[in-house]
Amino acid sequence: MVVPTAKEFIDVTLSKTQRKTPTVIHKHYQIHRIRHFYMRKVKFTQQNYHDRLTQILTDFPKLDDIHPFYADLMNVLYDKDHYKLALGQINIARNLIDNVAKDYVRLMKYGDSMYRCKQLKRAALGRMCTILKRQKSSLEYLEQVRQHLSRLPSIDPNTRTLLLCGYPNVGKSSFINKVTRADVDVQPYAFTTKSLFVGHMDYRYLRWQVVDTPGILDHPLEERNTIEMQAITALAHLRAAVLYVMDPSEQCGHTLQEQLELFNNIRPLFANKPLIVVANKCDVKKISELSEENQKIFADLSTEEIPVIETSTLTEEGVIKVKTEVRSDSRRARSDAPACDRLLAQRVNTKIKGKKVHDVLNRLHLAMPSKRDEKERPPFIPEGALNRRKAMEVDTPKRKLERDLEMELGDDYVLDLQKYWDLMNEDEKNDKIPEVWEGHNVADYIDPDIMRKLEELEKEEELKERAGEYESDEESEDEEMQEIRSLAKQIREKKQLLVLESKEKDVHGPRMPRTATKVEKKKLEKEMSNLGLDMNDKNDSHYALQARRSRSVTRKRKREASAPPTSKTRSQSASRPPRDQSGLRDVKMVKKAKKMMKNSQRDMNRQARKGESDRHVFDLKPKHLLSGKR
Amino acid sequence: MRIEKCYFCSGPVYPGHGVMFVRNDCKMFRFCKSKCHKNFKKKRNPRKTRWTKAFRKAAGKELTVDNSLEFEKRRNIPVKYNRQLWDKTVEAMKKVEEIKVKRQARFIMNRLRKGKQLEKEEAITEVKKNIHLIKAPHAGKAKQLEDKMVQRLQEDVEMGNEDD
Repeated sequence: MVVPTAKEFIDVTLSKTQRKTPTVIHKHYQIHRIRHFYMRKVKFTQQNYHDRLTQILTDFPKLDDIHPFYADLMNVLYDKDHYKLALGQINIARNLIDNVAKDYVRLMKYGDSMYRCKQLKRAALGRMCTILKRQKSSLEYLEQVRQHLSRLPSIDPNTRTLLLCGYPNVGKSSFINKVTRADVDVQPYAFTTKSLFVGHMDYRYLRWQVVDTPGILDHPLEERNTIEMQAITALAHLRAAVLYVMDPSEQCGHTLQEQLELFNNIRPLFANKPLIVVANKCDVKKISELSEENQKIFADLSTEEIPVIETSTLTEEGVIKVKTEVRSDSRRARSDAPACDRLLAQRVNTKIKGKKVHDVLNRLHLAMPSKRDEKERPPFIPEGALNRRKAMEVDTPKRKLERDLEMELGDDYVLDLQKYWDLMNEDEKNDKIPEVWEGHNVADYIDPDIMRKLEELEKEEELKERAGEYESDEESEDEEMQEIRSLAKQIREKKQLLVLESKEKDVHGPRMPRTATKVEKKKLEKEMSNLGLDMNDKNDSHYALQARRSRSVTRKRKREASAPPTSKTRSQSASRPPRDQSGLRDVKMVKKAKKMMKNSQRDMNRQARKGESDRHVFDLKPKHLLSGKR
Repeated sequence: MRIEKCYFCSGPVYPGHGVMFVRNDCKMFRFCKSKCHKNFKKKRNPRKTRWTKAFRKAAGKELTVDNSLEFEKRRNIPVKYNRQLWDKTVEAMKKVEEIKVKRQARFIMNRLRKGKQLEKEEAITEVKKNIHLIKAPHAGKAKQLEDKMVQRLQEDVEMGNEDD
């Protein structure tokens, strides 16, 4: 978690108080409500400060609780006293804030108006914020410590480690770059590496840490600066194999004598640690090319049972030799065994000497069968395993990979996986295998017995053929049958035609019987001739004769209309007089009647009505009446 | 590369054609065209859909049990390539195909033979019943009568001659 600056801390907490507590309060509320409102704010702020400060205090490691290597490292980097002081200040601030809150909450219980309570709350919050403002420098320091601490390399102090040390610029960082996947800066000036770096490598199926230190110069402990002290701390606390890197070519800027001096000075730190001297930059100058005195130095070292190995990180010779040496098993003399093996052996030894071993040893029991006869029964190791082990130890070139082949041939390379196939005949490897034929998959027919089955099938087929199954049984039909068929066809066609004709007629409504319609002579003759009848003497036929014999149609007499009576006679004729003359005595009366008739008709005529009952309105909405403004 | 069978119509699905549907119980259904796919989605039973091979085989309209059909089987254990075996297999395949086709055709012919018989009988009844639609009953009768009369007369003449 980030350690906030004092200002930020205050801002955040106060705004939080404002957002997360209720904000509305009025004078006229009940006093207990007002008090509760303001007390809540004070307590909320106190709670926030307390929580955050506690979090900070717990997140920072206690120097007494962590591994002494890290404790020492932190002391070197951050100064133990300053660190403890800063955390102490934070603790004090937290307690003060709690006290302030407690006091003011107690006071608020006696606040009797909103104004008083509000002022108390203001005072409380103000005091808390002032306390925190005073912690500004501590908080800044702790933030910086946190950032640096998070970037420290994660060195496990308990696991297998190789430690590189020596003068600046001798080639420690180049070594670690070669051996592990670490990418440490390598530059021609001294003190390129300013802090510890870790890399990991694998050896014998175990993970090893390789720790790169900044260069150490030769002066007493008190005068060392922070950077060198890191190296010294690492040397002091990590139980690792030490690789003291020297530079016989003196390219680092220091003579071999100086390097030897340093070596002797640091000697006490190498107690109980497997030590190897690495003479780096041997591509520039080999030990054998050195002067007599210098060679003597190396000879002295060898006599002291410290192996000296020549390496060159540029040409990579000897680098592997430093960490491995395949022929080693534990029976070999110590002086020849390299760093890793020695460290492993040492670790095993210390474990055996310790207390925990007995727990494990008590549970292990190697059962040896008792000999029942003199026959030798050595353990069986398959040849493949032995070969594999040999191949591991010696760096034999593995079989040629496809990749190598690809690089060789360049553009000509063609990926041909078929060449690895394991077939019965070797020369069939490049065959194009048929897969599909006419919609069938060849793979579905593959069967070692297929020829036998095919033979059986063919035999069956032959038998069937002989039995006559495949003969076509279409008898040639006799003429009669053919004629019948053609007639049937004609009949079917005729039927269809009749159906179509009747559909075409499309008669709606009541249908006249067939006999009501006249049949044309021509049509009759045509139909009959189609049916095969002989139409040669059609004039003698029945229908023709009948047609000639029928009578001509006579017309009906018209009925004559009877004449109306002109004079008035006593014996009046039975025929009725017309209405406009019946019941009228003389001309005068006739005229009057006529006049009356015309009178009654006049109004109607004027209104263009047909009669009395004619109520038809020609124009329901006449335009001349309805248009315009009303 | 394999030519698969369509689940619905049992037709061939060539590579690059059709659709494969994988159900939640890991059963794969291949379809040769969207017609089959859509029918499947409508949950139609291929054994009841008349145009599919499954229906035809289930309804006995096509040859189902036969030795020539036993050759084409999906085999789960692959056999190592052997040129001789493959060559023989391709030849055998061709021969088997011939025989298979012949037998299938034979089967269908047998099935349809009855139909020809029925057709014949139908034609006969049709003619018997409805001959009046194309030929009047006494169409050639007048001529026949005439011929008969002529023949009779000739016989009479002959008889007369004989008497004399």
